[in-house]
Amino acid sequence: MDLSQAMLVFVVMAPGVVFGVLALLWLLGWLPTERVLSRITGLTFSAAVFALALIIWKLGSTGAPAVVVTFGNWFNVHDYHFPLVLMADRLSLPFLGMTVVLSGLIGQFSATYLHRERGFQRFFLLLHLFAFGSLLAFAAGSFDLLVAGWELVGITSVLLIAFFEQRPAPVENGLRVFAVYRACDIGLLVGVFAMHHWAGNASFVGGLPALNGTQQAVVGLLLLLAAAGKAAQVPFSGWLPRAMEGPTPSSAIFYGAISIHAGAYLLLRAQPMLAQSRLASALVIIIGVLTAIHGTIVGRASADAKTSLAYASLTQVGVVFVEIGLGWKWIAVAHILGHATVRTLQFLRAPSMLHDYHQMHSAIGGAVAPAGRHLEDLVPEPVQLWLYRWALDRGHLDTLLDRLVIDPLIRLSNLFAKLDGLGLDQPVSRREKVALSLHSPAGQGGD
Amino acid sequence: MLNPEPILTPVAIAIPWLAAILAVVTRRQARVIGCVAASVSLLASALLLHFAYAAPGKDSLGAALMVLFSSLALVGMLVLARRDCSAGTVAGMLFVLGSTLLAYATENLLILLAAWILTTIPFFLVRWFGARTWRPRLALLLASIALALAIGLIAANGHGMSIAQLKGQSPGGMLVFGLLVAAVIFRKGICPAHAWVADAAAGGPAVPTALLLNGHFGAFLVAKLIVPLFPDATRHMFPLLSYLALATALYVAIRALTENSPRRLLAFLALSQSACILAGLESRTPEGMTGAFVHWFVVTISTMGLFGILRLLEVRFGENLTASGHLGLAQHAPRLAVFFVIFGLALVGLPGTLSFCSQDLLVHGTLASHPLTGLLLPIAIAMNAVSIFRLFTRLFLGKRRTGFTVMADALPRERWILTAGVLFVVLGGLFPNAIVALRPLDAEAAEQTIDSPASPVQASRQKSRANQVIDFVSGEWPADPSRQ
Repeated sequence: MDLSQAMLVFVVMAPGVVFGVLALLWLLGWLPTERVLSRITGLTFSAAVFALALIIWKLGSTGAPAVVVTFGNWFNVHDYHFPLVLMADRLSLPFLGMTVVLSGLIGQFSATYLHRERGFQRFFLLLHLFAFGSLLAFAAGSFDLLVAGWELVGITSVLLIAFFEQRPAPVENGLRVFAVYRACDIGLLVGVFAMHHWAGNASFVGGLPALNGTQQAVVGLLLLLAAAGKAAQVPFSGWLPRAMEGPTPSSAIFYGAISIHAGAYLLLRAQPMLAQSRLASALVIIIGVLTAIHGTIVGRASADAKTSLAYASLTQVGVVFVEIGLGWKWIAVAHILGHATVRTLQFLRAPSMLHDYHQMHSAIGGAVAPAGRHLEDLVPEPVQLWLYRWALDRGHLDTLLDRLVIDPLIRLSNLFAKLDGLGLDQPVSRREKVALSLHSPAGQGGD
Repeated sequence: MLNPEPILTPVAIAIPWLAAILAVVTRRQARVIGCVAASVSLLASALLLHFAYAAPGKDSLGAALMVLFSSLALVGMLVLARRDCSAGTVAGMLFVLGSTLLAYATENLLILLAAWILTTIPFFLVRWFGARTWRPRLALLLASIALALAIGLIAANGHGMSIAQLKGQSPGGMLVFGLLVAAVIFRKGICPAHAWVADAAAGGPAVPTALLLNGHFGAFLVAKLIVPLFPDATRHMFPLLSYLALATALYVAIRALTENSPRRLLAFLALSQSACILAGLESRTPEGMTGAFVHWFVVTISTMGLFGILRLLEVRFGENLTASGHLGLAQHAPRLAVFFVIFGLALVGLPGTLSFCSQDLLVHGTLASHPLTGLLLPIAIAMNAVSIFRLFTRLFLGKRRTGFTVMADALPRERWILTAGVLFVVLGGLFPNAIVALRPLDAEAAEQTIDSPASPVQASRQKSRANQVIDFVSGEWPADPSRQ
């Protein structure tokens, strides 16, 4: 193992090891202080940035296309192997860099922002687990390993949405997000299976698995389902405002920067496959356009800063999907990097910005007059009203999902309960159904 | 070299039975007696597994399951709340342990039947482990009757009782096969005979019931008897049982979505996940069968952990816990909350735990075998994940209830044993080959047994419907068998 390989392993594993050690110590009764935790976090991500810089320097000086570290197979049965391969190439390196830099910055910001907050330790533990999951997903050399990182990002995301666990809304919204994630992840699982079945592997070291046209279309569509779920694209956008219930630093890194772009990364990784299928490419573009339009309209009617930022983020990710669908791979990468950085800053600035505005309004003796012309003025007034109502209900996407998926499932579940003839606990009533997590109202922004 | 099996097997089985008698007679130090007996069984079973693994060609399934079940009994003894740790409970658990190990170890049909019945006896008696409702008793009774009839018919047809000698002979034909499948359906809780599992969990003692469910006798019967004894019937009829298992996994997963009783919900999840074991065994692929075997470990440890934690919560906060509202118990018991969420997510495929490996293999195995119905498996697992997370959020998160007095979090005894369980699922997830390697040879052999064709013509006709569907999806029309 040469220097760059060792550095790659270090970059990916460091947050995971920190999480594992701290979690085990906590389970056995030791709780680190805030100062110790923030120092460890700073040190970990600083070292990771340094290690990543070494990898980039090494790649630049040797002209090698990628750093690949092979650990053999995680497990193997008969002809089926789960390869443990890490890879840092020109696509994954920007994402790895974005993850370590922004995670480190969020760690430093949160040390002050969450000072003496209940759950300070929990936040930092989850931040490390999230960073490990993201780095694993971005540095994976196969779709198999990407799934592992992908799932870890999902579960940490949900646990951080439910960070303020004493309020019911964050908890219920976290559950809703979890349900959407798990449903869409089926696409990734089945897509990986299909690659194994048809090509014998799901590795992308040295190129994607060899599939014929139809197979590429099927796998591309399955991956698109997973990517759309993770990136909150239409029709799954309803979970995004609910995710704003989490603390601002986690909203910034998840929904302004890394997690929301993980779907785009998956599509970028599978882009050669998508490019071979007109159907898949067209669907990526259509979903991207619809999401961009949806995001910009709904964002204009959002009443709180974090939700409107989330929808602005969604709009940009929709545009990124369009770029990927059109095959503009490197424009999409540049777009993601720029967008993630700016949006993280906006999220982190949002709470203090509101405070500054209030001060400014007090100083000048009233609200600042609105400037510029609003695009919505271009359409007739009845359409404006209709659009406003549409935007207030966030494009009716959650309502549609409820009516088409969740309501039938709950009715079916109640029917099964009756069939079981239990009689011990009554089927869920309409009133209780509303209280069920899956029907909880969308979030209005967290702390 | 001296064969230690004739010594170790009786030790593993008899010590729990003797300890059960000792616990009932002395009525003192029941937990200590139970732990010592379970530890001795565990040690003997581990040695048996070691020797079975070292001997080439020897089936290690029984020994591996003996290790697993005696570990489970030990965990059960340690996680048992003090209130529940009576001499009767410990004796019952030891009795179930000894009987289950006897079933796993035996190569004789009559002994298997006896052990099968013995494991159910405590659950027939309401004052011991019996549930208050009739369905568990009826299901266990019907399962025992079906197995007894099947073995009776085998004997009536003039066959011997040795399982090894009956391999590949289809003794008794389709009638016996059907009775064995019926025994699996009733004992395992396959739809439509699934309701008893939730009844048993809701109305019986939590930890002993988890021990009963985690014997997985239905799956054991499939692996031990049905596949080796009936290769022809298995080839033709197994897909039906497989579809039933997948349907059960999905049906119960949907049923769990609106269930508010924590015990019932956990029972549904355990049932749904253990139906995945059956689906994997019936997938007839090495990945599916190995995945089933690994998942057996996962389901067993995770559900025992979950039931154990739930019982600890009931002891602390009352027995009327419900998932209809937030209870905020994490404020009182943060470590129990963490253990619960780890075991819960480990049950449904959290990366870094053993179930990630098992479910990866199961999904690949079942989809390869049944591409369309196999899709039910990831859907069911996703629903189970939502249900377990819902239960976690309802029990542990939300506003702190003021009605509770300050209660102890996990006690050191509980903390250490639950940490050991967590370490098992996590280390197993990081190094899954340690468990995967116990079984793959057997899985491949079983697949060859089932799929070995009698002639090249038969081989050409045996291209499974599954593969034809995959070919169709990929744009290649399936070949017409009549033209071959």
